[in-house]
Formats: sequence, structure tokens, C-alpha cells
Amino acid sequence: MRILLVEDDENLADQIKQSLLDAGYAVDVTGDGEDGHFLGDTEPYDAVILDLGLPIMDGQSVLRKWRADGKSMPVLILTARDSWTDKVEGLDAGADDFLTKPFIVEELLARLRALIRRSAGQASPQLECGPVMLDTRSGKVTVSGRAIKLTAQEFKLLSYLMHHEGKVISRTELTEHIYDQDFDRDSNTIEVFVNRIRKKMDILIIHTVRGLGYRLEWDEAAT
Amino acid sequence: MIAKLRHFFKSLTGRLLMSAVLWSMAALAIGGYSLSLLFQSYLLRDFDDDLSLLLDSMVGVSEISRDGVIRFGRPLADQRFVTPESGSYWQISESGQLPFRSRSLWDFEFTPDAEHRTFALRFYETVGPGGQTVRVAERDIILPESDRLFHYLVAKDTASVQAAIYEFNRFLIFALSALVLTVTMALVVQVSYGLRPLRRLRGSLSDIRTGRGTRIEGDWPEDLQPLAEEINALIEQNEKLLDRARTHVGNLAHALKTPLAVIQNDVEGADDKKSIRIKTQTSLILDHVNHHLKRARIAGGGSGLGLLIDERLQKIIKAVSIANRERGIGFTLNCPQEMRFDGEKQDFDELMGNLIDNAGKWARSTVQIRVQAVADSPRRPFMEIRVEDDGPGVAEAELEALFERGKRLDERVPGTGLGLAIVRDIVEMYGGNAQLELAPSGGLRAIVRLPSK
Repeated sequence: MRILLVEDDENLADQIKQSLLDAGYAVDVTGDGEDGHFLGDTEPYDAVILDLGLPIMDGQSVLRKWRADGKSMPVLILTARDSWTDKVEGLDAGADDFLTKPFIVEELLARLRALIRRSAGQASPQLECGPVMLDTRSGKVTVSGRAIKLTAQEFKLLSYLMHHEGKVISRTELTEHIYDQDFDRDSNTIEVFVNRIRKKMDILIIHTVRGLGYRLEWDEAAT
Repeated sequence: MIAKLRHFFKSLTGRLLMSAVLWSMAALAIGGYSLSLLFQSYLLRDFDDDLSLLLDSMVGVSEISRDGVIRFGRPLADQRFVTPESGSYWQISESGQLPFRSRSLWDFEFTPDAEHRTFALRFYETVGPGGQTVRVAERDIILPESDRLFHYLVAKDTASVQAAIYEFNRFLIFALSALVLTVTMALVVQVSYGLRPLRRLRGSLSDIRTGRGTRIEGDWPEDLQPLAEEINALIEQNEKLLDRARTHVGNLAHALKTPLAVIQNDVEGADDKKSIRIKTQTSLILDHVNHHLKRARIAGGGSGLGLLIDERLQKIIKAVSIANRERGIGFTLNCPQEMRFDGEKQDFDELMGNLIDNAGKWARSTVQIRVQAVADSPRRPFMEIRVEDDGPGVAEAELEALFERGKRLDERVPGTGLGLAIVRDIVEMYGGNAQLELAPSGGLRAIVRLPSK
């Protein structure tokens, strides 16, 4: 899952970024509205955390421009001005949720998980596919009740696939959603990750669709 | 009634009308009086000319007979000198003799003033036969063939002249009154037409106050254009000031809260003494910041562009339900579509956001919001907003306590209780009132009344 964080306060941005990385997200951070708007416009993010008080272009305008351009990724706005007007107009501009500063980062993470889940059409924080269960809150993965250990990148990849169960996901899409923009991308590593996950789980739920990518699906008959 | 009249005459319309009508009435009265005098003197001169002509012709036909009696060589042409009490008379008197009189005098006889001899023509009015008021022309004459002094007198009834003057005055008064009336009417039209732009200006201003407009727009007469521009500039300045104050407040909030968030997140989870102290102190700072910033943000009644309540409430409810998402509360809204709030958007958001959020926190499953116009006296219509939850409510006695806390806002610790303090503050700024009561369902019902303009 790849997140865009637009926050001009460096301390807060660092704190949030670290927590997001710890929770297994790929994160891009920018401090001004114009840059933020550009990134959101050109990169595929699974969610955006957007501060309203930004230099150059304020958060509300950024959001309105995205929505006017048909960008539909979930957006959580951060507002320092604890006024209902800010909340109401933030939502009116197209936000999906808001948090008032100051907030506890855990709260932000919980909201973010819920946003991503809902935008992927998942109702429960526990994603299931056959015997495989992924808890978005704790980051734990079990297969038939047996916990398996995944590296951060492996978890990101599996999590993205689990959020989009049954859909064919290309390697490029996977790369775009598990690495931040500064990462030296190499789509071959995706194949390595997928193989490792398959090995660790010991069952086949990640299917290779030749020439297109991967599809996550539990097919009882196949096992 | 008298107070109303006094009020009217103090108004601009009243002053203009009053002075104009008084002036024109005075001018017309003077004009009418002079006209009447002129007519009278003209009539009299005519009358007198007639009399002196008659006198001359009397002298012209006079002769003294051989037996020394005065007589007319031929009779005067006018038949009226023959008909008794016809209104036209003559008389020639000589001292010590019976006067020679016209037949029309019948048994009446003028008594000329014997002491007062004059050879010049003299006019005066006196009482004639039958009580008629007559005008007399008289003079003393010495006829050429003798040295005897005769007193010639000719008189005519003035009734016809008086009637003419009376008739003329009556007509004059009628005509002048009609003139005053039409002039007054013209003035009323002129004043109301002339002052119409002022009334339009007032309408524009009231539109701005109630939020139906933002500026005074349109073409104005040359004399009013600067005024309209000044008012617009004033409104603009006011908006700028308000906006700047709001921006400052917002910036301050932003400046303070972000570092506070950083500090709070740094000590989050730690449970040593120092961290706990930092935690409690920072949250105290936050409470103070929030409380005072919110108070500073209230704009109060009279300003703002106004908004449609129904539309805005739907958005506020959406925000509140997102804020209280995990509780799964249902919100129902019942509001007339055209109803407006004449004030600042921020104030309305803060007022309703807090009320509904508060209800949402206490509710078990639903919150009902109902807005209606109440015209309990036609002079002061107001709107009533009811926010009712189905939560546990509070004991009857505690309702008062909630009020008190709200009332004594300045002394209370911010951030405690129901957050109704800010609600009460806003409502009072707009000249309304807020109260809490227990709903039949047992939950709390907040009733806010705001005056409509």
C-alpha cells in the first residue's frame, strides 16, 4: 500500500512517516501543496493524508483539483483549525475523513486502514482468502491458523493483493503500490517476492496470469 | 396619532413637503389677496367714473327757469331715475330751498353737509332709500347765468358691485384652494419620486444585512453614487478585517497545535513521571487554545452573508457522523428548504456542529434535528432548532447545572462538560436563547431560538 503524505511541518511529517513505514506502507512525503497536487495527480496512491494548511496551494484547493480531475483515491485531511467549518468544507471538497490536530498517530493509522479497506470494498479489518488471513491492524498473517513471518516488502505485496482479491494485478501496478517514488524499482524483484510468499504459505493462492501479472484467489478444487 | 404626525414631520419627506406646502400656501394667499384688492379698486373706479359722468350730464341739462326754479332742460335718459327705489338717484339742493330730486328717491331725501362746501368732486358711501348702501358723488356748482350755489349729488346702489366682488372672491378662494391642492399633490409626487433612490438604497442595505446581497449594486443618481461607493468600501473593509482576524486566529491555532501534536506523540506511551506531566500539561494547553480560539472566532449577529440552513445542515450532519462513525448513530433532519440563517457561516457551523456532535455522543441510536419558523408575535419572528437524542439524558436537577456552566463560561475550565458553552455564546451573540430539556424518550433535547430578520 502506498501513501502520499502532504504535511508542511517537518517534525510531524517525520513522525507520521515513521509510523506509516513501521505499519508496512510505502510513503511519499512532500511539504507543499503544489508538489503534493502533482504527485497525487501522477502517481497511483492507495490513500492520501493531506494537511489543510499548506504553503503555495492550500489543502482544500489541492483536493478540489484532484476531485475535479476525477482522482478518486481516499483522502484523509488533517486540520489544525478545530472548527466545524473546516471539517464541513473539507468533506465538501471531497475528503473521505478528517482528523483534528493534535492527534495520536495510532488513531491516524486506524482511520487510514479503514479508508483503504473501504475503498477496496472490504468491510472487515481482517482480510481472508481461503485459509489465509491478514489482519490489517496487527500486520499478522496466518495460514490455517499458523502464523507465518513475512518481510516488510513481502507483507506490502500480499496486503495489496489481498485488498484486491480476484483481480489481475500487473507487475507494474504492484511495483507502484509497494515502493515509494525514490526506490530503485525493478519489476523482477516482484517475482522473487511472490515466489518467497508462495513458499512460506505452502499453498497456492497467488496465481500467475501469463503476460498480465498476478491474481489472488482461493480455489478449493485446485489443492 | 399625534406622535405619528410629529414623527412624519420630522422625516425627510415630511420636512420637504411641509416647507414646500407652507411656502406655496403663503405665496398663493398673498397673490390672491392682491388680486382681490386690484379687482375691487378696478370696479370702484369704474363705478366712480360712471357717477361723475352722470353728474356732468346733470349739470349739462340744468337750467334756471324764469321764475328762478332749477330744472332740467330735457329729462335724463335713464329710466332708473324714474322708477322708485331703483338704485339710481340724483338730487340738487340749494340752501333754504326744497331740493330738486329724482322720482326714484320717492320720499327720501339726502341731507347734504351744508357746512362742508366743496367744488371738487367727492365720493363716499352712505345709506340711501330702503336701507340700500349707496355710493355718492357730489360737488357744489355755480351755474353760469346766476350766482346761486347748487349742491349736485348723484348716487347709485353698490349692491351689484358688492355682489360682483363677493362672487369674484369666492371664485378666487375656490381656484386658489384647488391650486394649493394640486401643488401639494405635485409635491408629494415630486418628493416621493425624488427620494425613491434613497428608499432603494435602504432596501439594498437591508438585503446586505440579511445576506441576500453582498454589495450595493446598480446605477445611482449622481448625488447618491459617492454614498453607495462609501458604503461598499465600508463593507469591504469590514469583511477584510473580519477575514484577517479569522486568518490570524487560524494561523495561531495552526502554529500552536502542530508542535503540540509532535510533543504529544513523542511522550505517547511513555509512563514515567515526567512524560505524564508533559502529557497532562500539553492537553491543558490544548484545551485553553481551543476554548479561546473558538470564542474569538464567533462573529456575532449582524454580519455575514447568510446561508440556506437545510443544505448546510446536511453537510454538518455528514461531518458529525464521520466524527462519530464508530458509534453508528442515525441522524434525521427535518428542515424547510428555503429557511435562511442571517449570519456568519462559521458561527452556524460551530453552533450546529457542537449541538449535533454533542447529541451524537450521548445518543443510543438516533438524533433528530428539526428546524421550524415560529411566528409567535408577528413583530419578532424567530426560528427554532431542536436537536434531540435518545440517550440516557440527565436528572432534571442537573439540567440547570448544565445551564449554569454554560452561563458562567468565562470562569469555567474549558473543554469540560457538554461543549454547550460555545453554543450558548453564539446564540446569545445573535440575540437568541438556548435551553435544554428532557425529551419524552428520556434523552436530552436542546432548543435553540434565533431571531430572524
